[in-house]
Amino acid sequence: MDATPPSRLFALRGSDQRAELMLGALVFGVLAVVAAMLVFVFQEAWPSFSHNGLHWFGSGGSVDRQIEAIFTSGDLKRRPVYTFHAWPLLWSTLLITGLAVLIAFVSSLFVAVFIVEFAPDWMRAVLEPVVRLLASVPSVIYGLLGVLVVVPFIGNHLISEHSKASVAYIVSLSGYSLLAAVVILTVMIAPIMIAVFVNGLRAVPRSWLEGSLALGINEWRTFWKIGVRTARPVLVAGTVLGVARALGEAIMLAMVSGSVGFAPNPGDGLIFFVEPSRPLAATILQNAEELASPPMRHTLFAIAAVLLFSAAMLSFTGWVVKQPMKRYGVRA
Amino acid sequence: MELTPPPVRRLPLDPAPGRGDADGHRPGAPLDGARRRRAPSSGFATDRMQVEDVSIAYGRKLAVDRVSLPIRQGEVLALIGPSGCGKTTLLRSLNRLTELTSTASFKGSITLDGADITRLEPTALRRRVTMVFQQPNPFPMSVFDNIAYVLREQAARRPKRAALNRRVREVLAHAGLLDEVEHDLRHPALRLSGGQQQRLCIARALAADPEVLLLDEPCSALDPQSTQVIEDLIVKLREQVAVVIVTHNLQQAYRIADYVAFMYLGELVEYGSATQVFGAPREQRTREYVSGAFG
Repeated sequence: MDATPPSRLFALRGSDQRAELMLGALVFGVLAVVAAMLVFVFQEAWPSFSHNGLHWFGSGGSVDRQIEAIFTSGDLKRRPVYTFHAWPLLWSTLLITGLAVLIAFVSSLFVAVFIVEFAPDWMRAVLEPVVRLLASVPSVIYGLLGVLVVVPFIGNHLISEHSKASVAYIVSLSGYSLLAAVVILTVMIAPIMIAVFVNGLRAVPRSWLEGSLALGINEWRTFWKIGVRTARPVLVAGTVLGVARALGEAIMLAMVSGSVGFAPNPGDGLIFFVEPSRPLAATILQNAEELASPPMRHTLFAIAAVLLFSAAMLSFTGWVVKQPMKRYGVRA
Repeated sequence: MELTPPPVRRLPLDPAPGRGDADGHRPGAPLDGARRRRAPSSGFATDRMQVEDVSIAYGRKLAVDRVSLPIRQGEVLALIGPSGCGKTTLLRSLNRLTELTSTASFKGSITLDGADITRLEPTALRRRVTMVFQQPNPFPMSVFDNIAYVLREQAARRPKRAALNRRVREVLAHAGLLDEVEHDLRHPALRLSGGQQQRLCIARALAADPEVLLLDEPCSALDPQSTQVIEDLIVKLREQVAVVIVTHNLQQAYRIADYVAFMYLGELVEYGSATQVFGAPREQRTREYVSGAFG
């Protein structure tokens, strides 16, 4: 025992040492791959950003026509064109992600509270596996459901001829819309959020809940003020996961969003919700075959870089939001 | 260290609660070392609750077997007995917390000021009969919010900030905690010491002016000093609320209780004044228990 250095419980020998070396190498390898990927993406994206400057994020002209011009210039080996104003795509991403996450958060929270605290045992036994199953359904299946069910429903029942005519000069309304995208995306991300929320709420110590009940505060208020409050860091973590999935979702959104580089205009009233658009990730997906054209490739990588950066910012924001919650002793 | 005399008979022992008894009492030693901390009660005790022929079972296991006793304001009632004798279950049934366990079944009747408690709204009952648990369980909030939470939730309308401030301080002072936390009421409650946390829990239980205060081994996780502070507090409280305390610690029961109920295997073996139960127990089992022969 005396020979053991104080900092280590056991001296590393033989297989321990090998295991530590291998794990270390593995971690280093993973970090190196991540770093290389970041460098590669931003390097490829640079020409698009440097030509457009901050206008890249602005609006101006039809983004679809710009994409076409970028592609043709490279395809025909002309002078490369880079002009690209991504605002309609950014706006579409913000709208779809924001609305879906907002709705999913509220409904997931209530469902999770119900599952953990109020559902009878048999219902809990049914609900939990169903939620887990829903969380693992591939997005293309949600996309199909959208195309076959939600989009036709919106097109046939929610859009009148009159509203179609009122915006016909600029965009055609067919059911492929913001609404369809938001509805299906909500259904897609809610199960993930519910699963995470349930775990978090279940980890709240019973003694705190019991302490509150023993003071004559009813079950609902107790669970809301003690349970949900304590689980806030987990709610943040689950929401970050949901936003991440929503941001990165390409296939389903390409199928139902309408795939038009159009910025839905809130000024149009209720028609706003049935206007088509196309978010960033879906734009990459739909133009992925055109990577052979160098300016097109740089433009698509620029979009990818924006998505990567948003994802990183998202994790960071989640971390920042959790910090003040730790002060009173709640754990993530 | 002197040798403990060999025990007369050994029944399964309670696990010693953590750091030992409040004043280092050895099992088997006589109670003479324990000084009665309390002044004699005023003698104006009034009946608040009446436990009548109560049996409680978890599934098929009978935890409390036909127990009857009165609970009076102006006196401290201590429930003593070895682990698993049903004293905590009996205590929890007084504000219907046993109902949170789905397998629990209840027979008999408990009344509060003559009204059957099963006819009362559980939340209303639990505001009048509040409980402090064995492990301090302050909420993960600030000291201030721990009290304010109860006041806000129990108020019919949202209390004004100034009124809330005043009341929180009053309650903390009542539980003898104000001096220690006054400089920083925003301090996280979970970072207080164990004794302070438990006093905060008592303060919280007192916040809404309960009529009966239930304490489930409130000192078993605490050091001797905190224990003494809490015992003094309990004795002080007995004129304003009816106090029922479950304890493993015979010295503690001797120091603070006016009346003692000894339970064994779910039965109420003996109920009487503390002087009688400790000084001249009527039952053989009580005599063995209080002399430290078992548990």
